[in-house]
Amino acid sequence: MKKHILFLLLSFCLAVFIVVSCEQDLPTWAEYSAYQFSGLDEDGGTWKSTLLTAPDQIVVAAPEDITSASYLAELASVKTATASLSGDQQEAVNYWTNNSLLRWNEIALELAAKYNLIPGPNPDGTYTLPNPATPDGPPPFPFAHPPYTSRALAYLSVAQFDGLITAWHYKYTYNRPAPYEVDNGIVSAYNSGLPSFPSDGAVIAAASRNILSAMFPLEKDYLAAKAEEHLSSLIWAGENVESDITAGEYIGVEVAKLALARAGSDGMKNAQTPKPKSDSIKAAAFARFGWQWDNMESPVRPVGLTPLFGKVKMWNVPTVEEVRPVPPPAPGSPEFEADVAELKEIAENLTNEQRKIANWWSDGLGTYTPPGHWNRLAKELSIEYKLNPLRTARTFAYMNMAIMDAGISCWDAKYYYHYPRPIQTIPGFKTILGTPNFPSYTSGHSTFSSAAATVLGYIFPQEAADCEAWALEAAMSRVYGGIHYRFDAEVGIDQGKKVASYTVAVAQADGAD
Amino acid sequence: MIKNLTNYSLVILGILFFFSNIKILPAQTPSDAIMMKKGELCLALIYDYGSWDQYWEGATLRGNENIGTLTRTSLNPMIAAGITDKIGVLIALPYISTKSSGGQMAGVNGFQDINLAVKAEILNQKLGKGKLALLATGAFATPATNYLSDYMPYSLGLGAPEGTLRGILQYKLDFGLYARVSLAHLWRGLTEVERDYYYNNGSYYTTLMDVPNAWNYNGVVGIWLLDESLKVEANYLAMTSTSGDDVRKYNMGQPTNKMDFGQVGGSAQYYFGESKGLGLLVYYSQMIQGRNMGKFTNLGLGLTYQFKVIK
Repeated sequence: MKKHILFLLLSFCLAVFIVVSCEQDLPTWAEYSAYQFSGLDEDGGTWKSTLLTAPDQIVVAAPEDITSASYLAELASVKTATASLSGDQQEAVNYWTNNSLLRWNEIALELAAKYNLIPGPNPDGTYTLPNPATPDGPPPFPFAHPPYTSRALAYLSVAQFDGLITAWHYKYTYNRPAPYEVDNGIVSAYNSGLPSFPSDGAVIAAASRNILSAMFPLEKDYLAAKAEEHLSSLIWAGENVESDITAGEYIGVEVAKLALARAGSDGMKNAQTPKPKSDSIKAAAFARFGWQWDNMESPVRPVGLTPLFGKVKMWNVPTVEEVRPVPPPAPGSPEFEADVAELKEIAENLTNEQRKIANWWSDGLGTYTPPGHWNRLAKELSIEYKLNPLRTARTFAYMNMAIMDAGISCWDAKYYYHYPRPIQTIPGFKTILGTPNFPSYTSGHSTFSSAAATVLGYIFPQEAADCEAWALEAAMSRVYGGIHYRFDAEVGIDQGKKVASYTVAVAQADGAD
Repeated sequence: MIKNLTNYSLVILGILFFFSNIKILPAQTPSDAIMMKKGELCLALIYDYGSWDQYWEGATLRGNENIGTLTRTSLNPMIAAGITDKIGVLIALPYISTKSSGGQMAGVNGFQDINLAVKAEILNQKLGKGKLALLATGAFATPATNYLSDYMPYSLGLGAPEGTLRGILQYKLDFGLYARVSLAHLWRGLTEVERDYYYNNGSYYTTLMDVPNAWNYNGVVGIWLLDESLKVEANYLAMTSTSGDDVRKYNMGQPTNKMDFGQVGGSAQYYFGESKGLGLLVYYSQMIQGRNMGKFTNLGLGLTYQFKVIK
């Protein structure tokens, strides 16, 4: 009897061990440490910026000489700080690294995921939309859906890029050596090799904090605390003295003002229209084509998502009409019926591979959205190619401008053509992904992804084939999920490519190649 | 002797209450206090119909017209065997189907988790006008198919390996009335999902989700009637996850959620004929509180057949 009990206990311990041994710390950010940059781009201050007309538009006076008393006092406090870092301080240095832009991008994606929640119906069946004037809600502002997130990321990245061009301009104008170069006794955490005035890290911290605080107003305190830690980490890392940081912060604050001024008048505040306007857009499409998209939810949402996002000011495309795709096949036409037959066939015989692709690229409610997914991929490539902060900023700025332009173009098509979704045209059709609250043609995933892949393929030519394959997979994922016709996806891919070519042309002429 | 035979099929009941929930707790060990004799076998097949039209989003109970009524039916074949008079084993593999009356999301169906349980009697002795029994069970479960756990509320289960350790204490009066309590801890591993980013009070860059561990409490009062042919029970069952996040507003749940519930139920089991080898089981249960769960009502119907294979 005792023997049996012992056996039972041992078997059970084994089972628990199997379960528990699978437990591990799951990654909550990209696990990379400070690295040697593949190049410093000493001429980066001459690159063409987006919001600024000239690199010295933001005026930064020459810093004190490194022999001055004020500098030596700053240097001494860096030396004291670096000599006795606490565990938390060391952790902060390790976390922020010498390419902190990637961390701010991660923070932006996290906030997108946190706020990407669609408002549910009120008890009486009506819906209340987030209001920037009363961000606490309910529902809280913003609803960080894909167009909103694409825009937040574009402003973030453009401000970072212009701020760093400015920083590079002054870095290589004033050439102030870094603390660890002035005093051998200071150990740098990462020896970036950049002139330290003004601090590039501080530009990124201040610009990112201010842009994201405007985009996610309820997160001001959280973002301020992040920026504070980041700025302190620059001292703890032995990378900058206080006056480097002050100058960098100033650039970041100024460039963020310019970016937010553009954001304030780009048309986004009119994108979510009242119902009469939304109805007139729908009626115009019906008059033009004889079809219209309807929301199929219960209770019915009175207005689709941001019907006038297609009217938001584009970054690099002169007019949205010039990238508008051709009309989709009419419901009932042979082309339409062929793609409907494909959808039914997929739903009937969904393979594990198709299910996985649908879920892999879904990036739906509660996640960082498709623009966020491509930012995550850009982050991984930036680390792999050891980009310096300026090159990183350039990559994200062009990619996110192209993604936002793609979103604007896609939304223009969505509400111009107002095409019904598969659940509307196919009676009884069931899907494995939720159908979003906007028309079908063209697919947002396809357009966003193709634009992102086109820019990444330009920046990282060796990765171009992979990026394009990912975009195609992302496009098809919506067909596997049952929420788009193949023509939505295929036309979206072409549209994204076309939109991004405008951004690539700008990038090719900015002086960085 | 006969009673020992028939009683063991009640083991099945403890398992059922778990299999019937939206969130399956695989291999929940038998929670009664009865042992089979060496060489006895019990086969069971139970049909369970579970449904809800309201769910707890965090602690708030709400409806959702895009789900309407969610139904979850399962067919649970099980085999239990007495290895010795003091040790029994059980194996089960439920087949589950889910669907909803509202919205356009596709339901799923398939085999869920393979469940193995071992149960041992540690103590069984006369005390006053009855008998006191102490038992322990250990169980292990793991997905039998590649069903997607990250498809709430339609997913078949949590998609993670799970180990359970349970202690059971029962006092039974000689005339047939009894009371039983049990306490279990559930260790859950990771479930692999089909995306490598998710939000769980912060970003996670991985395809793995940590399924919270849980405590499980069970209290039962029951009685034997009609010359020990009929058994009637009332029970309360509760589960509390030790960690996990809440379902966010108007958002889908995910396996990382802190899922809790309290449930009341009743059951009856009748044994036919003189040998009493064949049994018919009916039960009903209703969740009365919860967190990040559908508010399930379950109705079950089952057949059990018990016989001696080794003399």
